[in-house]
Amino acid sequence: MITKTDVEQIARLACIDLNEEDMQAFTMQFNAILEYFEALEDIEAELTEQEEDNVLRADEVTPSLTQQNALANAPKVENGYFRGPRIL
Amino acid sequence: MSHREHVEELLNAIRRSKLNAFITVDYEGARQQAEGADAGELDGRLAGIPIAIKDAISTKGLRTTCASKMLEHYVPPYDAFVVKKLREEGAVIIGKTNMDEFSMGTSTETSFFGPSKNPWDLERVPGGSSGGSAAAVAAQETDLALGSDTGGSIRCPASFCGVVGLKPTYGRVSRNGLVSYGNSMEQIGPIARTVEACAALFEVIAGYDPWDSTSRDAPVPQYVAKLRDEIAGLKVGVPRDFFGEGVDPVVENATWEAIAVLESLGVHAKETSMPNLKYALSAYYVQAMSEASSNLARYSGIIYGHRVQKNHDWHTTFSENRASGFGNEVKRRILLGTYALSAGYYDKYYLKARKARALISRDFQRVFKQFDVLIAPTMPYAAFKIGEKIEDPLSLYKVDINTVPINLANVPSLSVPCGRKGHLPIGMQIIGDQFNEQLLFNIAFQFEQNTNNRHAV
Repeated sequence: MITKTDVEQIARLACIDLNEEDMQAFTMQFNAILEYFEALEDIEAELTEQEEDNVLRADEVTPSLTQQNALANAPKVENGYFRGPRIL
Repeated sequence: MSHREHVEELLNAIRRSKLNAFITVDYEGARQQAEGADAGELDGRLAGIPIAIKDAISTKGLRTTCASKMLEHYVPPYDAFVVKKLREEGAVIIGKTNMDEFSMGTSTETSFFGPSKNPWDLERVPGGSSGGSAAAVAAQETDLALGSDTGGSIRCPASFCGVVGLKPTYGRVSRNGLVSYGNSMEQIGPIARTVEACAALFEVIAGYDPWDSTSRDAPVPQYVAKLRDEIAGLKVGVPRDFFGEGVDPVVENATWEAIAVLESLGVHAKETSMPNLKYALSAYYVQAMSEASSNLARYSGIIYGHRVQKNHDWHTTFSENRASGFGNEVKRRILLGTYALSAGYYDKYYLKARKARALISRDFQRVFKQFDVLIAPTMPYAAFKIGEKIEDPLSLYKVDINTVPINLANVPSLSVPCGRKGHLPIGMQIIGDQFNEQLLFNIAFQFEQNTNNRHAV
């Protein structure tokens, strides 16, 4: 059973600000979904094989985005930098 | 008819359309490319052929929103690997198609730009998440389209809209430039009105890409040249686990009738079972949500994306950007994924899901020792009504019951139209072992040639 306080805590971890109404609806929905996921509880299996193999390439320097392209989608830019929120 | 005239016809159809299949239409770009094709400036296997691209796939200079307010104004500075391939082969990119936000959904109803509609019945969903792509192909607003399939997102709309759609083997098509949702399961794939066109498009987009570390360096067969190869003698398994509770008897009958057609063409069909499929839906959602929570952590609204105009601190700014930039389904999946990965719950959910995935993969490996392909209904029923399931997330997840096992096992599956319920199309999926797409095309092609399930809208 997941409570509204749990949802509030998860939302803080995930950096998503939830209003009261969403928090209530999500709590109900999450309980139904997590109850469904309980089906996984009786699984007993060994994870032996490597299921995904990553294929690595040589780390060679190639041209990347220009500064102008890299900044083109940024909501706030200053002197060629991304402008973040204030620290304090 | 010239390429330019054909493209103009499609652009007019899109302008008049009630389907909301497109988020962005590149009128000028499409006309220019078509003129280039007419002037003989474009060559290649797709020269002058119009294609629509799911809005989760990056197109240089052409807005790519993922159907989210978060990326409403995002213009990619580079082309996805598959888009580069299309341009090299002379394809005409006409626009970007509607989808569920960040590919999270089965109905295209979670789009920030409003739902797309099913061309066979405007009150019904086209399926999702690549709903705009399938609807546009079915309604002849484009000749070809690309979608992406993480848990059924190509096959579901192909089934609901009566077109052909392939979810390729994991690693067969580069994911470079595809906006990530469930990266261990998703693949870009082709959608078309015929099996041959689907195979032709697949031949272009398949292949190794050093910029996707999960791309596999295996030769790409000439699928179209071998399309007419003999299918008599092939062994088809029919796992009864795909015909469980909730499958509409009309869909069940259509699938069995299709199998009977294939038997008349010389294939041998036999029932089989895959007992671990009962874990597939839970395993898929736990894993997809976990991956989503990680993949979507990048949307902070600083380097690109939606940003609120307030002077808050870091945490508050991020939290507000994400709260106002994401829709509810995206928030649900990020939050549940965060929960499933958090200390104390990792073993209970994520690790169990990984184990279920291994069991399901072993089920597939076992049946492919016995059978060349498997056949099953793509979707448990025909297209449902807009609004019918959107208020109850779990009921919408359950729609994916027959499509998600394929993604968990990394195998390919091709959905082809195999019948109708009233005016609504029904699709069956032909599932193969890894890198065996050729067989799927061959069987689907023979089926298509010997039946009459293709109808123009």
